[in-house]
Amino acid sequence: MQSKAGYLLGKFIELVLTLFVVSLLVFAAFSIIPGDAARVMLGPDATDAQVQLLRSQMGLDKPLVVRYFSWIAGVFTFNPGTSYAYNMGVGELIAQRLPVTLGMSAIAMIMVILISYPLAVLSSRKPGRLGDQVCSVIGHVLFAIPPYVASLLLILLAGSVFKLMTVGTYVSPRENFISYIGCLLLPSFAIALPKIAMSFKFLRSSIIEQNSKDYVRTSKSHGLSDLKILVRHVLPNSNVSSITIISIILSDILGGSLIVEQVFNLPGLGRLLLSAISRRDFPLLSGIVFYLALITVLLYFISDIASSLADPRIRLK
Amino acid sequence: MARHIHIVKVHHLTLSFPTRKDPDPKPVLDDVDFGIRDGEILGLIGNSGCGKTMTSLAIAGLLPDNARITHGSIKFAGKDLLAMKPKDRRAMLGKDIGMIFQEPSTALDPLMTIGKQLEEVLTAHKENTQSGEDRLKAVTDMLELVGFTNAEEILGRYPHQLSGGQRQRVLIAGAALLKPRLLICDEPTSSLDTVTTVSILALLKELCQKLRITILFISHDLSAVRGFCDRVMVMKDGKIIDKDTTSDILSNPRNAYTAELLTNARLDTRILGLEPANVDYSASPVLTARDITAGYGRSLFERVRKTSEEKTDNNVLHGVSLDVYPNEILGLIGGSGSGKTTLIRSLLGLLPHEGAVSIKSASVGAIFQDPVSCLNPAHTIKWHMSEALRSSPKDPGKGFKGRAKALKRIITVLEECGLGAKYLNRRPNELSGGQRQRIAIAMCLIQEPALIVADEPFSSLDASSSAELLKLMTDINRERHTAFLLITHNIHIVRQICPRIIVMDEGRICEEGTTAEVLTNPRSECTAALLEAERRIHGI
Repeated sequence: MQSKAGYLLGKFIELVLTLFVVSLLVFAAFSIIPGDAARVMLGPDATDAQVQLLRSQMGLDKPLVVRYFSWIAGVFTFNPGTSYAYNMGVGELIAQRLPVTLGMSAIAMIMVILISYPLAVLSSRKPGRLGDQVCSVIGHVLFAIPPYVASLLLILLAGSVFKLMTVGTYVSPRENFISYIGCLLLPSFAIALPKIAMSFKFLRSSIIEQNSKDYVRTSKSHGLSDLKILVRHVLPNSNVSSITIISIILSDILGGSLIVEQVFNLPGLGRLLLSAISRRDFPLLSGIVFYLALITVLLYFISDIASSLADPRIRLK
Repeated sequence: MARHIHIVKVHHLTLSFPTRKDPDPKPVLDDVDFGIRDGEILGLIGNSGCGKTMTSLAIAGLLPDNARITHGSIKFAGKDLLAMKPKDRRAMLGKDIGMIFQEPSTALDPLMTIGKQLEEVLTAHKENTQSGEDRLKAVTDMLELVGFTNAEEILGRYPHQLSGGQRQRVLIAGAALLKPRLLICDEPTSSLDTVTTVSILALLKELCQKLRITILFISHDLSAVRGFCDRVMVMKDGKIIDKDTTSDILSNPRNAYTAELLTNARLDTRILGLEPANVDYSASPVLTARDITAGYGRSLFERVRKTSEEKTDNNVLHGVSLDVYPNEILGLIGGSGSGKTTLIRSLLGLLPHEGAVSIKSASVGAIFQDPVSCLNPAHTIKWHMSEALRSSPKDPGKGFKGRAKALKRIITVLEECGLGAKYLNRRPNELSGGQRQRIAIAMCLIQEPALIVADEPFSSLDASSSAELLKLMTDINRERHTAFLLITHNIHIVRQICPRIIVMDEGRICEEGTTAEVLTNPRSECTAALLEAERRIHGI
């Protein structure tokens, strides 16, 4: 259908424009920040000539526009320069750390969906009854706990009180995949907790809202059982609005994982980011920030496409 | 199964909504006792809130969770329904009892194709062991029976791709698919235009005869009941106060309340005392619109990409011009989708359009079809009124004096609209549909507009509220010299109060002139079609 292709094209152009603006902002931010990277690297005792030499080696003496385009070319070939601090390619550094952050986000997301969906369905069956109210109160409490506090509590519980596991170790997925998942479970749960509460609250009200819609009444009058109505009509309809919320939650989780990594001592992007900040490692910093932004923008793009697939009213306008 | 003379027997049914605070409230249905005879079409009429819908839901077993049946019984073909398990009662729906409802626009799942939704009726019942192909054939046959010539194409469509009338046909097909013995129709035509209403009623009558279906027809539209139902029951405050054959009830009412309903439904100008003001057509018009062209759904990309030639294709309005004179009640009629609502949205400046609109007034009021969603449920009537006042040039200003003045004005206007100061602190959900529509008018009046645009203000109201609203509108017109642009599909109302009318079809004005001339001597086909539908439904 032509309108469908048009819709996709429009969304894609939106994506490219967003990425362009993001790249401009990231580049501009790290170019405007005061502080000369060459001088930082060489230390306070370096002479002006030495600094000047390093500047030209790093390409810092070229005009801003030229630097922007060489940076953007590097970004899309996954090689946006060399880190000052680690003396390694930024792309390589990020690739090393990505499995931790992405794995943790994915596990957290799966937890959110697996826990909040069944709870929301059960809770919305008879709104206002005891179980529903208990769920809501617990939800409110969880919602108020920041991930790092949850992390500390979980470390205390799992590591010291129940002695379930040693906290703070990390196994790479290539060595032992099961241990890799195992050591990410606790931090993922810490990130997931408030998001479970958020997603539960949203899904519950969305299901309750759909339950009062006229088409549910029609389905009842057709003789469908409550379970069939839930699975075939109510859940797909509530998913249309949930997709957007889920994508927001997912990008939140990604941000939350940066902090939780610190607490659990995991070698992820978050720690890399912090060390890049403290060492004024601008190529690494701008690389991490840009790729995180890229993932977020892509998530929203995918969620837009997904909701258009889920809803024929958007698809067949 | 043995045939019973009464397929449904409702025996002294009493129903209420008890709460913790009030364990024994006034019953919603009070000792309702009637039978539906096998094969008949039984009408159930009465004003909104009288308990018609609760009666039908009680028979179907779809009452809200907080409803309690305190007394009585319901029997369907000899079986005691109230003694059955909820699961078994649900299984009866679709198979033994079919239902269609008021609002076809929201009654279908927007994410599922028509074919799949209809097939569900078949798969929901365990006894049905048809193969996929047989099911498809059954659905296609039923769609053809309800009047689709392109049934196979309809199967793959989504609800939003069908018109209101088509959706109601699909719903009827779903309800009749398993050939139930009883079909409950709850106001099936009240949101449809006259032409569609006539065709839906004809279809129901045909199904009743072809499939031997008994119909319980609930309506507040007495004209739809006439000529359609065999017997009619009149309901008031949860009680059935009158029942007889249709002709006896409608032509020779013995009960005083039935007579009152009939009078209101007839909207007789003399009895209601409706008197529109005299119009001076030499004065300069209060609203002038020239060559209005407008359409929907053009995204930025489409606007850039398409040439101007293609652009006119998805326009809903094509070069519409009209004048509204001071003191006038101008009627605007036309079938669904003729562009009436698009036109007023353009006139009010709510829709980008081409062409010129000039309004000779500081403010224009507008009231819309659905008084339920037009008011903010979180706020009181006083808030609504002061908000309307604040945004008008007549605002007395802030400060103690200004506020006292404003309150005084709000009360005056409310009283003028037949509501008093006691409504100030109520919220919209505490008011009836008719009262909400009065609030909408009061919100217009407080701004003292020279023109009020009314978009189908009567269509969601019952006969009594319509009559009251109509009287209010003519009173305002006469006393305040406010002009009205009245959009309606009720030609009867137009005939009573509009000196001049405009008929629209497919985004163009196809006829305009004095009401008497246009309606007695229609020159265009669309006017003739509207009048024919009107004649058939009202039996005039």
